[in-house]
Amino acid sequence: MAIDLSMPVLVVDDYKTMIRIIRNLLKQLGFSDVDDAADGTEALTKMHQRKYGLVISDWNMEPMTGYELLKEVRTDEGLARTAFIMVTAESKTENVIAAKKAGVNNYIVKPFNAATLKSKIDAVFGE
Amino acid sequence: MSSKKHAEVLKAADGLSKKSDISLVDVLTLAETSIRSMKSFVDTLDSAVYKEFREIAEYIQNTKTEIGHLQANDMRSKHIPEAGLELSAVISSTEDATTKIMECAETVLDADSSDSEAYQQLVNDNMMLIFEACSFQDLTGQRISKVDETLEYIDERISRFAAAIGAKDTKAPVSAKEKKRQKRKKDQILNGPAHEGEGVSQDDIDALLNA
Repeated sequence: MAIDLSMPVLVVDDYKTMIRIIRNLLKQLGFSDVDDAADGTEALTKMHQRKYGLVISDWNMEPMTGYELLKEVRTDEGLARTAFIMVTAESKTENVIAAKKAGVNNYIVKPFNAATLKSKIDAVFGE
Repeated sequence: MSSKKHAEVLKAADGLSKKSDISLVDVLTLAETSIRSMKSFVDTLDSAVYKEFREIAEYIQNTKTEIGHLQANDMRSKHIPEAGLELSAVISSTEDATTKIMECAETVLDADSSDSEAYQQLVNDNMMLIFEACSFQDLTGQRISKVDETLEYIDERISRFAAAIGAKDTKAPVSAKEKKRQKRKKDQILNGPAHEGEGVSQDDIDALLNA
């Protein structure tokens, strides 16, 4: 099944530069509806207002981290099935295991390239 | 008290005990003999206590001198704020440069390539802008060197002070703010970016997720 490139994607990162990089990469991959949030709290608010097909989130943010956001999303019935990719500089084994346990769909370690982002999105949507 | 002096006192006391009529002069004579015999002991004690106090005073003076050498006020009011400003400037210059480079890349990606000559010119112009933006690296290198110097300055003074007072590491009191920060770091598993060679690679992560 082809990925629906028109699905809304939410990019969550406290660095505007990183949001811009991911936005550009997603645009190159063909995604046309990309939204962003500066931390977990803002992301959660946006997710309650609109249904996103994919969330790409950083881990280390204030006040709500991406890890907390992931756990909140997975325990919320209305949001629990949203695809969630963690994109982070946190690269300790304990982080990956914790994210897996919390229900992450994929995990990308920074710095990354367009090919990695594409392959992980493809993997999440079973391409 | 020396044995000679001790013997003198005993002799005076013995003489006095044999007398049936003891006068005030006798008592005073015995007291004088006793005091004279103890004088050297008291003098020795005085000198030992004096020596102790002199050493404590010297230690305090040396510690005060070493604290002065720490130049803590200079550190707090000058070196540390300056290092903070340098780091802020590094953050802002890297952000500016990244933004400029991304703007150039976006301009090229969005450009109309139907007119090859105009497109070539636009690409060249933007490549030049990217080269210019990359000059931030030289400045950030210099700024980080200044921060490095500050850290060395602080390290040198604190190390000398610790050596001078023979400081030993003990468990330091932790402020409520620090406790909160440490708890969040632990609960949220915030390790930060790993150094080269540390942390797991993307391949290892993929393997962990698929396990």
